[in-house]
Amino acid sequence: MKIATKKKLEGYIFILPGFIYILVILGYPLIYNVVLALRNVNVKTFASHTDVFVGLGNFKMLIADPTFRKIFRNTLVFTFGCLFFQFTIGFIFALFFSQKFSLAGPIRGLVLVAYMMPMSVTALLGKNMFDVSSGVFNDLLMKMHLIKSPVEWLLSGGTAMAAVIFMNCWVGIPFNMLLLTSGLTGISQDIYESAEVDGASKFQKFIYITLPLVKPAITAVLMLGFIYTFKAFDLQFVMTSGGPLNATDVLGTYSYQLSFTQYEFSKGSASAIILFCCLFIVGLFYLRMIAREDD
Amino acid sequence: MTEKISFRTSKEARKNLILSIIALLIAIVFLFPLYWLVCMSFKSDAESFGKIVTYYPHNFTVSPWLENFTDKDFLFSLRNSFLIALIAMTISMVFGVTAAYGMGRYKVPGQKGFMLSFLITQMLPASLTLTPMYLIFSRLHLLGTYLGPALAIASGTVPFIVVTLRPYFKSVPTALDDAARIDGCNVFQAFFKIMIPAIKTGIITCLVISFLNGWNDLAYSMTFNVKPEMRPLTANIYRFQNKYGTKWNCIMAYGAILAMPVVILFVFLQKYIVGGMTAGAVKE
Repeated sequence: MKIATKKKLEGYIFILPGFIYILVILGYPLIYNVVLALRNVNVKTFASHTDVFVGLGNFKMLIADPTFRKIFRNTLVFTFGCLFFQFTIGFIFALFFSQKFSLAGPIRGLVLVAYMMPMSVTALLGKNMFDVSSGVFNDLLMKMHLIKSPVEWLLSGGTAMAAVIFMNCWVGIPFNMLLLTSGLTGISQDIYESAEVDGASKFQKFIYITLPLVKPAITAVLMLGFIYTFKAFDLQFVMTSGGPLNATDVLGTYSYQLSFTQYEFSKGSASAIILFCCLFIVGLFYLRMIAREDD
Repeated sequence: MTEKISFRTSKEARKNLILSIIALLIAIVFLFPLYWLVCMSFKSDAESFGKIVTYYPHNFTVSPWLENFTDKDFLFSLRNSFLIALIAMTISMVFGVTAAYGMGRYKVPGQKGFMLSFLITQMLPASLTLTPMYLIFSRLHLLGTYLGPALAIASGTVPFIVVTLRPYFKSVPTALDDAARIDGCNVFQAFFKIMIPAIKTGIITCLVISFLNGWNDLAYSMTFNVKPEMRPLTANIYRFQNKYGTKWNCIMAYGAILAMPVVILFVFLQKYIVGGMTAGAVKE
């Protein structure tokens, strides 16, 4: 009994510092964030301590605001656009590199460098490559005769969103490839061999063996992808500053703008809470899945 | 018989060759942006913003790199990047590794709750904590310090370390620390002398990832450090973009320098980094 108590105490000595750190550094601001969202704190009222409780006023104001609605829609377009392309291409890469050939390992490793790049560098690159006059993409597309005159990628809404999605996929594809590869390598080769004996075609093997067996990895990569993409900030901030006219602004960058360029701290918090709620719903599914695997 | 084997192997060799060529093409297309970053950084001023796009530096020059490295503001930012990354890494490791050990080796009441909070905090967006942290740090006079951003960055890395290292600690046989305890080590000696060396791979992964988390951070450093002299390279990008104007070669050299530690760490420690990227994500 005494030993058991001592053991527990030791456990707490190791766990609690980290836990308390998280609690103080994240937990407290999180609660403070909710308080902020329910009051009218801005740069004036913060300095003079004259902020008052406004209930759900900030949320109502945001939801009624056409700019906020636009930004919410942008976030969805950005997230699902990225998920679609990075998952599809990432999956094709994973399947391709899971074949046995001499360069499979080294090149798969090389492709991963894109995932490690600081997002701000990726954003700088995007800004340069999608530039109207000196950008390499316009030059390449004109040389291939796909466009006649340079496209003003980052100067009009639709193409700017496409450019931002493109750069994000550059980072997302290796990430998807990596997680799906670890799912694919888990499949025993015997299953494929016995299917071959039964006369299964390549397509049938993919549909009836590969897909069901990598399903856990697919679910994980889609949910994680959603979480990482939905909260994007760095890419838009550096590459387009959310422009032109909020066309590439997402919830992450908009919350920042509300708080730190307009100094409407309460509105910024309320907007961040809306962002968090969307993440939380998907996050719950992800956590449930992890908990099941943990047992 | 021999004929058949040679036919098979030559067919396999051809398949190997074709697949390898496709793989090379994928690599060339996919890594083109990286080539572009380096290529641009060695172009002359006129070549880098000219209307005619060149695919390799026609007038090769290192002056964009020199221009960065002789700029006082740049050197300050570079130092700040290292300092913030190192401070964030140290904080993350101290709190993360100990908590991972506790979570992996002990069974205590409330453990599920601890794990859940670590998993949830790993997903939190920076935007959610920026505003409240800014206001709290302003009251605590932590704005304009290295500690402010480092504390915030570490709050995302600590849960990552716990999730990544817990399975490592779990996998170490209990006989190992039992033996250490019999030899007269106390808990902490056993932790430092036996456990940490036993999971060296995991520790290296966490060191690298927690350094990179700090190095790559933009949001926290930019928000909490208003003074440019205190900002790291990431947060000063706009400042240098204004400074360099259309001199894309200098901007790209700036980006290449910012990307360099990542590439270097990746080349030498790829095994550890890749292990870390999959560890916490799919399953334990």
